[in-house]
Amino acid sequence: MTDAEALPESFEHVDEATEALVEDTELPRRLKDRIYGAIEENEGATAEEIEEIVKAVVARYEDTRVDALDPVGTVSAQSIGEPGTQLTMNTFHFAGVAEIDVTQGLPRLIELVDARKTPDTPTMTVHLEEEYATDRDKAREVVWQIEATKILALGNVSTNVADMQVTIDLNEETLQKRWPTYDDVGEIAEEIQDTIESELKVATKRKGTTIAFGPEQPSYRELLQLVEELREVVFKGIEEVSRVVIRKEELEDRDEEEFVLYTEGSAFGDVLEIEGVDTSRSTCNNIHEINEELGIEAARETIINETHETLAEQGLDDVNVRHLMLVADIMTNPGTIESIGRHGISGSKDSVLARAAFEVTVNHLLDAAVHGEVDDLDGVIENVIVGKPVSIGTGDVDLRMGSGSAMKSADD
Amino acid sequence: MSTDTEFNRYEKARIIGARALQLSYGAPVLVETERTEPYLIAAEEYDAGVLPFTVRREGK
Repeated sequence: MTDAEALPESFEHVDEATEALVEDTELPRRLKDRIYGAIEENEGATAEEIEEIVKAVVARYEDTRVDALDPVGTVSAQSIGEPGTQLTMNTFHFAGVAEIDVTQGLPRLIELVDARKTPDTPTMTVHLEEEYATDRDKAREVVWQIEATKILALGNVSTNVADMQVTIDLNEETLQKRWPTYDDVGEIAEEIQDTIESELKVATKRKGTTIAFGPEQPSYRELLQLVEELREVVFKGIEEVSRVVIRKEELEDRDEEEFVLYTEGSAFGDVLEIEGVDTSRSTCNNIHEINEELGIEAARETIINETHETLAEQGLDDVNVRHLMLVADIMTNPGTIESIGRHGISGSKDSVLARAAFEVTVNHLLDAAVHGEVDDLDGVIENVIVGKPVSIGTGDVDLRMGSGSAMKSADD
Repeated sequence: MSTDTEFNRYEKARIIGARALQLSYGAPVLVETERTEPYLIAAEEYDAGVLPFTVRREGK
């Protein structure tokens, strides 16, 4: 939805009275806009009709909300846990979009809630700005700026043991393709030569597109080491990205097609800097990178999307998003990403008993005793342990006798 | 969860439970009823709206 559609001002059949009525409700923006949209579509409605519609929507909306005192965390845990038992335990290769290998199923879900520093298979989805997205050559230009180009992709490397020389025979066609902004192949070869010199710290000789170099002192071992190092040098692109797949996809809102890039390996910050990359739509499956580049709210959104997609991939997307949102909220609530489990949320609870109930009971109790910790018995587990009513559901209703005014009387 | 009722399900359960306990200890019944089970009487009293309970909610 574009911004223009979201503004109530753009509806000609929505008058001020209607707007005041709708805006006065506690409905979320999305539902308010849908009411406007519905009224608009039916070319207006009478005041009574509108009032009835708004009332019905509010009633339905409030019906979907959870009660106060609901044990939402427990329900979320079960609602994600049950489909979790149906997820695949093994990673299947090349199952996602394009031919890129992406971790799926249970391993991916665990990876997400554990907030691993780097996912098993980092990938990015890079969307392009309009002029790049429709032109294959321009899209390719961006691809070459992202995909790491190593020497083996550029030409033949031969080692001459007798002369103690490594000779690189660059492929002119490949050079021209990967450096489309250069006119002269020689210039490109020169740049490659400079890169080799600064990376390997050797003197090189160049003739046309042939580069040769060798160790300072004749040494068989050093020669092989140079070749080994040469293979790892990145001449163009981002080191972390080993492969980029370009795909033509249909746009969601329009009947047009655009090129979208999928990468193996991720370096989200670097990609966002590249010209032609649509920074507003591109994403990455590493929540830490998202957090660094776009902030914690974006990271939260990514956790929701990634968990949802992981479940949806296996046909389990009937899990209500609000469970996933709760997980994401808990994980991002401190402003940084916390994992769920011993090293994260469960391990950093205030209550000693809650921590002891989770894992390594004796250690926690011992530490607490040594430090003279106090437990306020605020949480659920603590109260279960000591045998008090839990602070959730019926157990947390603060009931008072008397003061009849709060109860409406049916008799008088 | 319908919001036109004053209490949500947890509050309702707690009120009826508390009232049933009072009745089982011999508290006078506040409605005309045929029933003898304390919790059923309590439920009827709840429906009639005659129970003198207040629920204190956080922040209110």
